[in-house]
Amino acid sequence: MMEADNNDRPMMGAEFILSVRDLNVTYQTTRGPVPAVRGVSFDLAAGDSLGLAGESGCGKSTIAAALLRLLPPGTTTTGEVTIDGKDLFSLSPGGLRAVRWTKEAIVFQGALHALNPVQTVGRQVCEPMLVHETESSQKAATEKGRNLFERVGLTADKLDYYPHQLSGGQRQRVLIAMALACDPDVLIADEPTTALDLMVQAQVLALIEELRRESALTLIFITHDLSVLAYVCERLAIMYAGRIVEEGRSSEVFDNPVHPYTRALAAAFPRIGDRSSRLAPSGLGGDPPTPGALPVGCPFHPRCPLAEDRCRDAEPGLRPAGPGRAAACVLV
Amino acid sequence: MRTGLSPIVSVEDVSVFFGSARAVDGVSLDVLPGEVLALVGESGSGKTTLIRAIQGLQSVSGGSIHHREKAEESKDLRSDSGVQMIFQDPTGALNPRQTVYDIVAEGLRIRREGTDEEKRVSDALARAGLRPPERFFPMYPHQISGGQRQRVVIAGAMVMNPVLLLADEPVASLDASIRGEILMLMRQLVDDTGLSILAVTHDLGLAWNIADRVAVMYLGRIVEIGTTEEILENPQHPYTRALLSVVPETRRMEQQILQGEIPDSKRIPAGCRFHPRCPLFRSGDLDETIAARCTTEDPHLTLGAGWHAACWAVDPQTK
Repeated sequence: MMEADNNDRPMMGAEFILSVRDLNVTYQTTRGPVPAVRGVSFDLAAGDSLGLAGESGCGKSTIAAALLRLLPPGTTTTGEVTIDGKDLFSLSPGGLRAVRWTKEAIVFQGALHALNPVQTVGRQVCEPMLVHETESSQKAATEKGRNLFERVGLTADKLDYYPHQLSGGQRQRVLIAMALACDPDVLIADEPTTALDLMVQAQVLALIEELRRESALTLIFITHDLSVLAYVCERLAIMYAGRIVEEGRSSEVFDNPVHPYTRALAAAFPRIGDRSSRLAPSGLGGDPPTPGALPVGCPFHPRCPLAEDRCRDAEPGLRPAGPGRAAACVLV
Repeated sequence: MRTGLSPIVSVEDVSVFFGSARAVDGVSLDVLPGEVLALVGESGSGKTTLIRAIQGLQSVSGGSIHHREKAEESKDLRSDSGVQMIFQDPTGALNPRQTVYDIVAEGLRIRREGTDEEKRVSDALARAGLRPPERFFPMYPHQISGGQRQRVVIAGAMVMNPVLLLADEPVASLDASIRGEILMLMRQLVDDTGLSILAVTHDLGLAWNIADRVAVMYLGRIVEIGTTEEILENPQHPYTRALLSVVPETRRMEQQILQGEIPDSKRIPAGCRFHPRCPLFRSGDLDETIAARCTTEDPHLTLGAGWHAACWAVDPQTK
């Protein structure tokens, strides 16, 4: 994914479906520029799955929006995003339309707000197919919609339902069906299960896993819940203050974190049965920094239990931390 | 947890119906002094309705709720300061135009307990970990962080010296790192002051972190209750077993993903309400006489101390 782990991946002429190079996103606000994403890079080959984790304001959802060029006007974006060989930021509006839905599609959180309440879900699922002309007729689109509904575990009669007639879990399935309408190569899932119950979350995660296995779908999964990511994604990138501060194979990052922030985040989701966390919740003092007013030096140092004097001087970049792993901490 | 003492609150066979929807359908539950009891379940299980009934915000359709304090002083339930509630979203729970001091003092003013107001507000803030308290007096909610806001909500409850804190998803809207801080505070309040907490949550990690006992709700009923270790390490009810198997943190169990969602509380299945989704029943491995009871007889939890499950197959004490 990053330079640090290229040694564990066969480099067959760098056949990446999605490449992100030194992505920087700065929002312009009335209080001045706010850097939300600062120098993020990663590469994904077909079938890869990357989990982006971090707390509110760490920049993870901004990355999702940037990958689809959905950022508000006036936002400054630098760096390079290549999707299937095309430079995303230099695409014409027509070229961009061709990429959205057919190359990359997104599943948002809050399934109720992402659906139009006065249209049947079937019509909403079929619309992108007709707009992007991936299906030639209404009849073909409806047929495809029926197949998609079956794939995500909804009966075909639900195509005629309005969003309010469906449960939260069913609406989330509709959003996934919609994102798959034009057979995208890359699926970006931004907190797709956060509002769902445990059992429904398990159903949706199993569905995403199955779709990925069946069709070599490339997945970017965004959430604050590290335990979900460790379960769904092969690789994990932990974000703090707009940067990736640790990355590697998800089981390794979750079971054996090296960055002090990752350690705190992993400990916040206790393992049931682990005696050390029984009646001993683990937290981290302080709050995530405001993107507009980052501390000098390592942005984590004010909350870091291991901070030293040198941490206040300069912000550490990602450095190798074992095979396929990297962390941005001077102690690594 | 001090067992043997009389319960802080006793819920006896309580039902709450909304028209034909049986949101809470015959629940019995004791909260003991000085314990954290986690009431876990999915949306639609009736857990929030049950704690609203315990607080007196929701009238019950059947059964009764006894508060120990109330029985002694025969107070009107709604003005009972002995039961306080903290909600999920601290930002929504705080008036943006009130200072932290006024927010915390409000309960005292409503109850006209204003004689030593400043000292009580100061003590409550300190107890909630906002120190020095005076620094927070003039601040408005937008001037403090998310974690501090939830501490202000807790201080507003603690200023009334409650015996029972009802917490509805107390950390669900908080960032991961802050979550642990607030859970630590809740556990500390129980250990230091002997308060009891009834926490409603879908977060089994929260239960593992702070609860003494766990009660599992399904479709308006408690289906299994016991110590946290009993329920989370060795669950017996097939619903609890399935629920635990899908917690991403517990990868030791084979996943049992139940199909569909909790049925509508207007159409509660006959017999055991869980049997249409029950992996044990559906496996066909059950003894014929037990399987027959699953479809015809509604299993009830045995009351009293210790572990119990409402299941014909796993608990011989089921009635």
